[in-house]
Amino acid sequence: MADTHLDRDVLSALQEVMEDEYSTLLDTFLADSTERLSQLHKADDAETLGATAHSFKGSCSNMGAIRLAELCNQLEQRSKQKSLEGIEKLISEIDSEFAIIRPLYEEERQRSLADSATVRRF
Amino acid sequence: MTNVQPLEPLTILIAEDSAADRMLLSSIVRRQGHEVLTAANGAEAVEAFRLQRPQLVLMDAMMPVMDGFEAARQIKALAGETLVPIIFLTSLTESEALARCLEAGGDDFLAKPYNQVILAAKIKAMDRLRRLQATVLEQRDQIARHHDYLLNEQRVAKAVFDKVAHSGCLNAPNIRYLQSPYALFNGDLLLAAFTPAGDMHVLLGDFTGHGLPAAVGAMPLAEVFYGMTAKGYGLSETLREMNAKLKRILPVDMFCCATLLCLSFQRRSVEVWNGGMPDGYLHSIASGERTPLTARHLPLGVLSPQTFDDRTEVFPMAVGDRVFLLSDGVIDTCDANEQLFGVERLQRVFAANRRPDQLFEEIEQALRDFRGEARDDVSMVEVSLLEAAQLSPPALVYSDSGQSCPLDWSVSFEFRAATLKRFNPLPYLLQLLLEVHGLRAQSGALYSVLAELYSNALEHGVLGLDSSLKRDASGFARYYQQRNARLDELQDGYVRVHLQVAPKGEGGCLTIRVEDSGKGFDVDRVMARPLDGARLSGRGVSLIRQLSRNANWSDDGRSARVEFFWEALA
Amino acid sequence: MSVVTEVSPDGQKLTISIRGRFDFAKHQEFRESYEDKELSAVVVDLKDATYLDSSALGMLLLLRDHAGGDDSDIRVVNSSSDVKKILAISNFDKLFDIS
Repeated sequence: MADTHLDRDVLSALQEVMEDEYSTLLDTFLADSTERLSQLHKADDAETLGATAHSFKGSCSNMGAIRLAELCNQLEQRSKQKSLEGIEKLISEIDSEFAIIRPLYEEERQRSLADSATVRRF
Repeated sequence: MTNVQPLEPLTILIAEDSAADRMLLSSIVRRQGHEVLTAANGAEAVEAFRLQRPQLVLMDAMMPVMDGFEAARQIKALAGETLVPIIFLTSLTESEALARCLEAGGDDFLAKPYNQVILAAKIKAMDRLRRLQATVLEQRDQIARHHDYLLNEQRVAKAVFDKVAHSGCLNAPNIRYLQSPYALFNGDLLLAAFTPAGDMHVLLGDFTGHGLPAAVGAMPLAEVFYGMTAKGYGLSETLREMNAKLKRILPVDMFCCATLLCLSFQRRSVEVWNGGMPDGYLHSIASGERTPLTARHLPLGVLSPQTFDDRTEVFPMAVGDRVFLLSDGVIDTCDANEQLFGVERLQRVFAANRRPDQLFEEIEQALRDFRGEARDDVSMVEVSLLEAAQLSPPALVYSDSGQSCPLDWSVSFEFRAATLKRFNPLPYLLQLLLEVHGLRAQSGALYSVLAELYSNALEHGVLGLDSSLKRDASGFARYYQQRNARLDELQDGYVRVHLQVAPKGEGGCLTIRVEDSGKGFDVDRVMARPLDGARLSGRGVSLIRQLSRNANWSDDGRSARVEFFWEALA
Repeated sequence: MSVVTEVSPDGQKLTISIRGRFDFAKHQEFRESYEDKELSAVVVDLKDATYLDSSALGMLLLLRDHAGGDDSDIRVVNSSSDVKKILAISNFDKLFDIS
């Protein structure tokens, strides 16, 4: 289980690639993730659950949310098993993890906007 | 992370349902210098491809509406033979899932989280493949176009070749032939034409190579053949001319194997020259025997005129006898085990043949049974000796109006030893006489008589050959060997030809006198012999008497005189 | 290599050996084996030649032309019976010394 919630190296790489669009990317990810979380809660069969978890896992890994990606992976594997026992617990862990990293991304977003504003002044 | 600039900017379609991932990937790809199209699901991806035809696709495997696998299948179908590389974006790790990607037409994978360096490398590699495929297709199309041009050139050549090869008298009733082509057309040359005397010249030729290169040499050869045959030149002169022409115009490594025949219905003989062709066969109906006509000469176009050998062999023929010639395409037909059809099999067909009319069909059947593959053009021809009356040579066509023709004249020639050896005066004499319009209708008889008088004067007179040698087949061969030998050694002697044309009534009269320096013969004894159709020799005198008027011999047979008359022309 | 050349120590005799099918595919190789050389005596060794077609005959004519035409001295040796038959039908023994 990874201790890091957010991989800062990934974030700086993302910023370099996205340049002015960095903050938009973060916004998009947060909106996307909110949508996926609600899909997870709404899912009523193992297949949908697994597919959503898989998809979410991919985004998280791209955005540096290491622990969240790992949790999604666990959910994906679990949903393939016969018994869906204990899956509610996993989903709530995912909720919690997202609750932790969400403010971190928003902070990151603010910082990047301030930085670019500073730059523009000159 | 470094920017890796590709050689050429591409249009890349990104199909990814996660908005954040889609945005990220688009930026990465744009930074690498490419144009980006996006789609959020499989159906959008297929539509985007159909409308914009990107060169490369980055495809998420799991998407709503239509997943990546189905979208990939449809895009590959739309792309047809063009290669549009599809790189699957996936966090799938199970090998089964990866195999699905390949089956669906995926060309590579990119794992999440996206690694820019790896992505750039993969795009570059896929682009190389894409361009390779494009080059292959372009070259294939170029080759196909070029092939079409070549086929068309061959069609044109075939049209010209057919005109050349099939003018002449191949459709005469005594000729049967079969030609089947290896490629677009059969490059074997099969020519036949009547001489003014009513003899028939036949040529079966096989140039090195086939198709177009073979056709190129055929035209000048055919021109010489038809031209000289029509003028009354014999085989030897025609051969010398054909060889010289080919030697002059063809490259060193091109030549023409050929068999030439001169069939004389009047003299009941066939004269043969075979240069490099497989054995022909002279089939005697009465005895059933087949005499092979073997190649004794190099093909045409190899030797210089000084070293060319124009000596022919002469064989007697009875009515109904046939000469069979074939090109080596028949013998070289070979089966799956590289076994050749070969001469032995051909001989077996000959041996089993009961009805001569069926021979062609039996050979064809044997070739089919052999289940062989022809490696060359296949040609077969069979020429029979019919009664002279059964053949009707076409009338000679004249290009002048005959208004200004000589009506009252005479000329004398004396051909001495050096000339007799190498020169045949008959075509010239005939040309001269055909200037007289009134004689044209009798050109056949005229030529036959002239030829007979001249050959009697030369062979029996000057060379002293005994015509009774021509009693049988082996005697025939000996006769002609002796003829050639004595001609080679000739030092003295002459043949004189006097021609006189004078008006007579409304028409005119031609008087021909031929004298030789020989010993003469017992005229009365020869005249007393009955006309015997079956004998091989002695036909000459009766021929002369039949075809001309007032034939008479004097000076102990050393001088012969005949007349031809014609009426006024309409 | 299917066309092998060998020059005698005194530089006077060139031996060209053909391996496999002697046909049009060997055209360039065959020509290159002699075209830059001054030729006096030439030997064409057909010991390992399996087959001879009309283009091979043409190639021999080119060699002969290059080596002096009527003044050339070319021997064709070690021909198999099949090859000999082909050379016999085309009467090439009148141009080349064949054994």
